[in-house]
Amino acid sequence: MSTHFAVEPALEMLLIAIAQQRDQAAFRQLFNAVGGRLKGYAVKSGANDKDADELVQETMLLVWRKAHLFDPTQASALTWLFTLLRNKRVDLLRRNKHNLISADDLYLEPESAQSEHDAEPLHQEIESDRNQHIVRNLLQHLPTEQRIILYKVYFEGKSHSEISDELALPLGTVKSRLRLALSKFEVLARQHFLWLLIIQMTNY
Amino acid sequence: MASYHPNDELLMRFSAGMLSNALGVLVACHVERCPHCQEKTRIYEQFGGELIAESDDAELPADLLDKTLARLSDEGESAPVKVSGNVPRPLQRFLPDDVSQIPWKGMSKAIKEFRLPFGDDEFDARLYKIAAGKQLPEHTHRGREFTLVLSGSFSDNAGAYHAGDFVLADTSVMHRPRAHAEQDCICFAVLDAPLKFTGWFGALVNPFMR
Repeated sequence: MSTHFAVEPALEMLLIAIAQQRDQAAFRQLFNAVGGRLKGYAVKSGANDKDADELVQETMLLVWRKAHLFDPTQASALTWLFTLLRNKRVDLLRRNKHNLISADDLYLEPESAQSEHDAEPLHQEIESDRNQHIVRNLLQHLPTEQRIILYKVYFEGKSHSEISDELALPLGTVKSRLRLALSKFEVLARQHFLWLLIIQMTNY
Repeated sequence: MASYHPNDELLMRFSAGMLSNALGVLVACHVERCPHCQEKTRIYEQFGGELIAESDDAELPADLLDKTLARLSDEGESAPVKVSGNVPRPLQRFLPDDVSQIPWKGMSKAIKEFRLPFGDDEFDARLYKIAAGKQLPEHTHRGREFTLVLSGSFSDNAGAYHAGDFVLADTSVMHRPRAHAEQDCICFAVLDAPLKFTGWFGALVNPFMR
C-alpha cells in the first residue's frame, strides 16, 4: 500500500499534461500506472473479466475527453479517476435494462475547472493533497470490523440492514460501527482546518 | 439551506455509485443544492479514490492500451442540455422546463401527482403537488417513502419541511401532512411500496390507491 504513496503527484502531472498538451505519451503512462488497479476495483465491485476490461477502457477514454475538468485543488487524481469509473459503471450497468437514469443525471460535473479556482491555487492544492493523506491515514487505521462494512457499501452497495443480515450482526451494531468510522471523517469535513493543524503538529 | 438531510448510509451509497436508480436521482436533487451534503460526498469520493489506490493490480489484456489509443478521437456522448429554471438538474430530462407546465394527474382537490418514468424496478417515483393550505388524510406507509421538498413547504406532527428538505417516512410514521398556506407544495417522492391509509375515511378516499 505504501508503495502507491509516492505515485500520486505524478498522476496529477500526467492528467494535467493530457489536458493541456493532449499528450498521448502521458496518457500511456497513466494507463499503465492505474489501468490494473481500476480493473481490480471493477472486479471487486462485481464485474466479470470482460466487463471490467471494458470499464477500464471506457473510463480511460473519459479521462482523455474530460481531463480539462480535472481540478487538483478539488480532488486528488485517484479520487477523480474513481468518480469517472463510478459514473461509467452506472452507465454500463443500465445498458441492458429499461432503466433510463444515467450518471449525468446523478453526478454534477464540475464546470470549467481551471477558471474558477485561480485564487491561491497552490495553497488549495496542498490542502487537497493533505486532505487525501488524512483520509488515507484514517482509512488505514480503521479497525477491520469497520472496514468490512465500508467495503460492503462500496463494492456491493449493501444497505445497513442487508449487511446486518449477511454478517449476522444486530442492525444497531452495524449502524454504530459505520457511525464510528464516519464520525472521524465528519470531523474532517467540518473541521477541516483544525485537522490539518493537528496532523501537522503531530508530525504527519 | 436544508435542515433535513439524507442519512450517511444513503450519501455513502450514492457516492459509491450504488444508488443508480430513482433513489439516486432523489439524493442527487438534494445534494445539488446542499453544500453540507456536497462536502460529505466529497469525503466519500475520497474513500473511493483510496479504495482504488489499494486495489489489486489486475492483469489487463496486452492489447487494451492500443485499442484504447485507437479510440481517442472517438466522439463522446453529448452532455445533457443545460436547462435553466427552477427544476433540479437531475430531473430536467424528465420534466418540462417550466414547472407550471407539468401535466398533473388529479387524485383529489388536495393532491395531484405526476409519475416519473425512470423505469426503476425497485422504486416508484413521482412528484406530488399538495394544494396550498390543504391537509392530507392521516396515513402510514407500507414501506419507506423518501420525500424531497422541491418548492413550498408542509408540516406534520414531527416538523415543518421546506424546499431542499429530505424526509424519510416508514411504517412507524403516521401523519397528516398539511401544505403551508402561502403556496402549493411540490414534493419529489420515492416509495418502495404503495401508501395505505389508516382510518375508514382513508379507505374511502385514499388518493394513492392503485
